[in-house]
Amino acid sequence: MLKAYEELRAKSDEVWKNTQARTVIRVPIATCSIAAGARETLEALESAVKERGLDVDVQTVGERGLCWLEPLVEIVKADGSAVLYEHVTSDKVEQLLDEALDDVSADLAFAVVEGTDVEGLQRLDDFDLWALQERRLLLRCGIIDPDNIDHYIAHGGYSGLAQALDQSQEEVIQTVSDSTLRGRSGSAFPTGTKWEFLRGKEREPKYLICNADEGDPGAFVNRILMECDPQSVIEGMVIAAHATGATYAFFYLREEYPLAIERMEKAVEQARERGLLGDNILESGLSFDMKIWVGAGSYVCGEESGLLASLDDERGMPRIRPPFPADSGVFEQPTNVNNVETYSDVTLIMEKGLEFYNSVGTEANKGTKIFSLSGHIQRVCVVEVAFGYPLRDLYHAVDPATYQERRKLKALQAGAALAGILPTHIALKLPLDPEAFKPHGVLMGGGGLVFIDDTACIVDLNVMFSWFLEDESCGRCTTCHGGTQRMSEIFRRIGRGGGKSNDYDKMELLGQALQYSNCIHGSASPTIMLRSAEYFREEIDQHINEQRCAAKVCRDLIRYEIDSDSDSDKLPEAAAICPTEAVVQEDEKWSIDQSKCIKCNACKDVAPDAVRIVDAFDVLPLTPVGASATA
Amino acid sequence: MLDTEATLEIAELVAEFKPGNADLIPALHKVQHRYGYVPREAMGVVAKQLRLGEAQVYGAVTFYSELRVIPPPQTRIDWCSGPACRLKGGENVRLALESVLEIGMEENTAGDKVGLHLAQCNGTCDFAPQIWVDGKVVGPLTAADTITLARELKEKN
Repeated sequence: MLKAYEELRAKSDEVWKNTQARTVIRVPIATCSIAAGARETLEALESAVKERGLDVDVQTVGERGLCWLEPLVEIVKADGSAVLYEHVTSDKVEQLLDEALDDVSADLAFAVVEGTDVEGLQRLDDFDLWALQERRLLLRCGIIDPDNIDHYIAHGGYSGLAQALDQSQEEVIQTVSDSTLRGRSGSAFPTGTKWEFLRGKEREPKYLICNADEGDPGAFVNRILMECDPQSVIEGMVIAAHATGATYAFFYLREEYPLAIERMEKAVEQARERGLLGDNILESGLSFDMKIWVGAGSYVCGEESGLLASLDDERGMPRIRPPFPADSGVFEQPTNVNNVETYSDVTLIMEKGLEFYNSVGTEANKGTKIFSLSGHIQRVCVVEVAFGYPLRDLYHAVDPATYQERRKLKALQAGAALAGILPTHIALKLPLDPEAFKPHGVLMGGGGLVFIDDTACIVDLNVMFSWFLEDESCGRCTTCHGGTQRMSEIFRRIGRGGGKSNDYDKMELLGQALQYSNCIHGSASPTIMLRSAEYFREEIDQHINEQRCAAKVCRDLIRYEIDSDSDSDKLPEAAAICPTEAVVQEDEKWSIDQSKCIKCNACKDVAPDAVRIVDAFDVLPLTPVGASATA
Repeated sequence: MLDTEATLEIAELVAEFKPGNADLIPALHKVQHRYGYVPREAMGVVAKQLRLGEAQVYGAVTFYSELRVIPPPQTRIDWCSGPACRLKGGENVRLALESVLEIGMEENTAGDKVGLHLAQCNGTCDFAPQIWVDGKVVGPLTAADTITLARELKEKN
């Protein structure tokens, strides 16, 4: 097996070596960079290079996760020196080629990756948000072409499989168990134990599932892996097949990730061509294949039994357990479900060994975890850190301005709609370890971290999350479909100023009732509501008792007014943009017709100084609600 | 059910799919890929092909939010309902869209010119609040930007 691998490796090394013979311009093509215009950059680069007759290669790579710098183009020269250039949109391409091929473009450069120092330019390894990372699973992201299996193999790909194939099933499972690897979706079930369940089943065929239905809003961890290093996931699945005796896999991928679908399909095809999927893999006698199976938009299909129902020609309604998937999964056959990152971790464990894998992390969770960071931060990004890394340090690196007291961070929402919400004073003290989150009544979840500052309203966030949970409830359990509806209603009513003092009792009761749901969608759905009532009581109280939304978000508790003292030059423009003709002028006096205003903020967008958002507590010459100023 | 030209065409389209083979969603995807939505007639044909009840197929089609039962609009606007967008004024964007286009989510304007779809976060949160216009990310948007864009789309059609 190792011999078959060595042959593959030798060929791939040759392919990779050839890419280094001359200057390479690496253009990241992944969802974040595409949104920033990377496809146009790639096109412009390719045609400019051709036009100029330059002796350089333009290569597609995945992204590094530094989303706010995209398109983040790297120029690697034949002498090995490499520099990253930020925001290289298509209009910057000529400048880049003019300045960066013979020298370094000081204007566009972001950091030196390899080679000698450049005056006035930081090194990537010294950049705070890079230096704090422990890049293992993401190591190849942004370096290799995801559509080229040779690039993957030349960077150590499939050596983990080759080593696993030389071990018995028990040995592989023991190694996975010793690594403490737990499901990375947030469920945190020990992976080795799950595999042992499947290995022990005699009924054949056995199936593997890759859960790539990453539906948590604000989580895009698995997307990066699938788009930028797809083979690492496939390799982990082949290792799992060897360890458990599974012969076929369904790769359940959400439809909302079209590029990931495209990349994974190509990756499966290439793995098949190289004999890494199919019959007699690496001449080991192992037979295993898989299919990329595209979902159709359902959050609850991320729950493993909902996913199985969805595969089995049903609506994606989570099933009642037992039987568990290891006994009766897809087609009622023994099945194992893991998520994308978990399989990638397996690849890493087999490739680099336990000692390396376990060298970072906490007692309960060794290794690393990928996080996607969004919300009120300057640097939207995907990072990989060792378990236990201090959340405060990560936050300071992704939002240096807030660190300098620009705004006040109010809350952290980790792990999306089911996991909970924490106030800053608790959240920023935590290490990034699931065990540390639990005592506070929340989960760390699958890797999404949404930072929330004091421009947000906790009631409004609850309206959003409870509605999401209501909308995505499969409808099986009355507790869940009824309970999530009641949650929505309560928060909407509070947001309208109709909150009652006994609403907290209702929340508590709902929290209890929802526990009696079949799956985690129901039982965990009250988490955000309950944590909000616990940690953000004062803010909710203000809505209930004073009909006041301090953040001025809840629409029924605020109104837009023209500030009579201000310069009104921009007001004709505000009147023109208003979709409901609510900005009116009578006798040269401007006002907002409250009966027409939908509070969309468009007038304030164009005339920020002339329009004010006020609530009942603001003191200024007010127009009574529903009447025009001149009436 | 009587075979018509339309149902025969759909039957041919889904002929490769088999019962008990994890084929329901793939079959529906194929139908939607061809027609832009899952027409009423197709549900019966798919049901027959996979030996399912028509109600089961209808149940599935209406369960999943990316399967459509109405024809697609000429210009599709997907509004991101994710948390990062919400925090940065996504609701303003939605109000602006609905107000200018005079439709709600999952509806099309007259003649199926422009349609609104409630979409889920896919992690381009640097552009929050954002929408997708025919699959392309547009953002960060203010309500004013959105109104200008929606008016242009409305006039163009």
